[in-house]
Amino acid sequence: MAAYRQMGTGWTGLGVWIALLGMGIIGPGAAWGQDAATDFRNNCMSCHTIGGGRLVGPDLKGVTDRQDRQWILKFITDPKAMIDSGDPEAQKLLKESGGVVMPTLPLGKARIEALIDLLESESKLPRSKFAGQVVSDRPLGPADVAAGEKIFTGRQALTAGGAACYSCHSVEGVGGLGGGSLGPDLTKVFERLGGRKGLTAWLGSPATPTMQAAFGTHPLEQNEIESLVAYFQAQTQFAETPKPRQIFLGLGLAGACFALWGLNSLWKRRLGGVRRAMVQKAAIKG
Amino acid sequence: MNVRSQIAMVFHLDKCIGCHTCSIACKNIWTDREGAEYMWWNNVETKPGTGFPTRWEDQDTYRGGWEVKEGKLRLRSANKGYVLGKIFHNPAQPSIDEYYEPWTYRYQDLFNAPEGSDQPIARPVSKITGKEIAIEAGPNWDDDLGGSPVYAENDPNLDSLSEEQREQLFAIERLVMFYFPRICNHCLNPSCVAACPSGAIYKRGEDGIVLIDQTRCRGWRACVSACPYKKVFFNWKTGKSEKCLLCFPRLETGQAPACFHSCVGRIRYLGVLLYDADRIEEVALSSDENLIEAHRSMILDPHDPQVIRQAQSNGVHDSVIESAQKSPVYQFVKVWKMALPPHIEFRTLPMLFYVPPMSPVMSMRKGDVLTQSDQGLFHEIDNARVPMQYLAKLFGAGHDAKVRYALKKQMAIRSYRRAVTVGDIEPHIADQMLREADCTPAEAEAIYKLTSLCTFEERFVIPPMHREEALEMMEDPMDHKRETGFGVMDKPMRGS
Repeated sequence: MAAYRQMGTGWTGLGVWIALLGMGIIGPGAAWGQDAATDFRNNCMSCHTIGGGRLVGPDLKGVTDRQDRQWILKFITDPKAMIDSGDPEAQKLLKESGGVVMPTLPLGKARIEALIDLLESESKLPRSKFAGQVVSDRPLGPADVAAGEKIFTGRQALTAGGAACYSCHSVEGVGGLGGGSLGPDLTKVFERLGGRKGLTAWLGSPATPTMQAAFGTHPLEQNEIESLVAYFQAQTQFAETPKPRQIFLGLGLAGACFALWGLNSLWKRRLGGVRRAMVQKAAIKG
Repeated sequence: MNVRSQIAMVFHLDKCIGCHTCSIACKNIWTDREGAEYMWWNNVETKPGTGFPTRWEDQDTYRGGWEVKEGKLRLRSANKGYVLGKIFHNPAQPSIDEYYEPWTYRYQDLFNAPEGSDQPIARPVSKITGKEIAIEAGPNWDDDLGGSPVYAENDPNLDSLSEEQREQLFAIERLVMFYFPRICNHCLNPSCVAACPSGAIYKRGEDGIVLIDQTRCRGWRACVSACPYKKVFFNWKTGKSEKCLLCFPRLETGQAPACFHSCVGRIRYLGVLLYDADRIEEVALSSDENLIEAHRSMILDPHDPQVIRQAQSNGVHDSVIESAQKSPVYQFVKVWKMALPPHIEFRTLPMLFYVPPMSPVMSMRKGDVLTQSDQGLFHEIDNARVPMQYLAKLFGAGHDAKVRYALKKQMAIRSYRRAVTVGDIEPHIADQMLREADCTPAEAEAIYKLTSLCTFEERFVIPPMHREEALEMMEDPMDHKRETGFGVMDKPMRGS
């Protein structure tokens, strides 16, 4: 009886944890910043600098002078809607970034306003603290590519415990049946996200909600990013071909059929019975 | 010493005429229900034959009983890995075809058929599906067919015979069969009890009857596999297993079980044995050759004062001890050593014993005439129609010494009685035969009396069952006042 009661307490405890998680008191929800600087660091820095030049997205120094404040607000609130609405400025930005659409950030109007204020004030400084990190220009060799492959395929665990890229993404050069198909194919990611500088910045603090959920609390190390960038650069030599999902379905069906056939031949006498076999044998003997 | 009482049985095969009255008596009382039609808690097999269910003695197929592994007793049917692997389909049990598909005839067709040029017939219909069936087999399909090329030739006990012996066995001059009636052996070391995952099977403390609790049974059928005698049956209607209950409601009211009561040949004996329960494991671990002797040695002398004292201190009632002293089973098994357990190599220590059968008179071919053997009526037991190895496989775990002893004694008593009543055998020859068979004239008379002239009371020495001391009576009978009676308290979910 005592054992049951103890078990009951255990379950109640678990229930409390689930409730707390649900209310967002514990867990990744807390990663969202409280002030504009943190918001910028978490959400914008992977693609933008203030005075550090272009990454995937444009340099935001003086953006408030270039654009109307209302326009900026509207764009950040829902970039995709803006592009789809055919706004000429938005179309131009899309072209400049090589077709990468800025993700819609789950920030309220107040926080976006605060971000715009931040952009305005940082632009006035001679050197903003958001000018972007200095990306090393050390030449990347085959050793880096090999290390990157190890990280991508998960043979080398990530220091902070993040999931291997392979579980959700695929690249052309990985061979076999490829990697996961949950995330986009990364064969051309090096070109898409603005080369070494852009990709390095992006991997430093991934901005999309999915990546943030996965890597927000398990950030990549600088040397890991370097190896991955080298690997992705090497991948650009391949052409990206979409993998048909039917291959998996076909393989699954074929495998199931083979397994059933195997089990059937292993246990082919299971329905034969004793008497019937005996009578048949006697009939053959005559 | 842990003395307990057990109701034990002897079937005298030399007296069985194979009339199946026992089976019918049992069926009428217990298994004439939907879901139980195929069951024969009592069945009579023709030997050599494959029996019911088909080849039940072949434990490579059915995995019944115990085996000795690394000095320990292990169930053949159940080690953890095996059970887990076969949890959805256990191949080590008989299908309905191994028993037989029970059928009846559509008798109404005889009356209702439209007028035509043919006689109407009653078609056979399955009692399971209700559809017409082609009858292929029954519970003793080759009844009385000694030389049947299908059922007799596939008797697992024939494996011990050489090719030549097998051929001889089926030669017309010595064609033979005998009857082998079987019920649950109510074993001392029951593998069905050990195998049950629900703990639904138990051996009654007061009389050793093995029963299945119908409210606890969950239909795993582990007992069906585990019983090497295949005497536990699965009721497909209620989803529970059932077995012979030795007519305990009859025993409790002082009546012999139905199959005993109705036996035309009076082959059945029933009485109490006292045994030492502490020795069960040790005895079951004996080598094949010593099994019978060890099994016998754990049966205790009910006249020994020490045994009586121990029995009393163990709660065995004085009237039960008194009954054990008069037990005909004790005489046949322990004193005369004529009754042997069937297939004791399955190591369940059966408490049903068989007096092995003598064979019919031997005949031989003289020209075109089939005539009696030169050796007269009572030929040597080694030249009997049923080969000694065959009986040894059935009743001696493959060793013939104990079977030979039992047959020799029967033979000597026959000669002795022949000398007394007919006088065509010299008395000194008969006496010499008795001496060689380890028997005295007094013992021979006693055996003769209990074999041939026995009364009802001598064959069935039923102890008072003392239900007033049984556990159920601890419950307050007034609990059920104004209810419909004791009855089944929890009805099974399906069936009735």
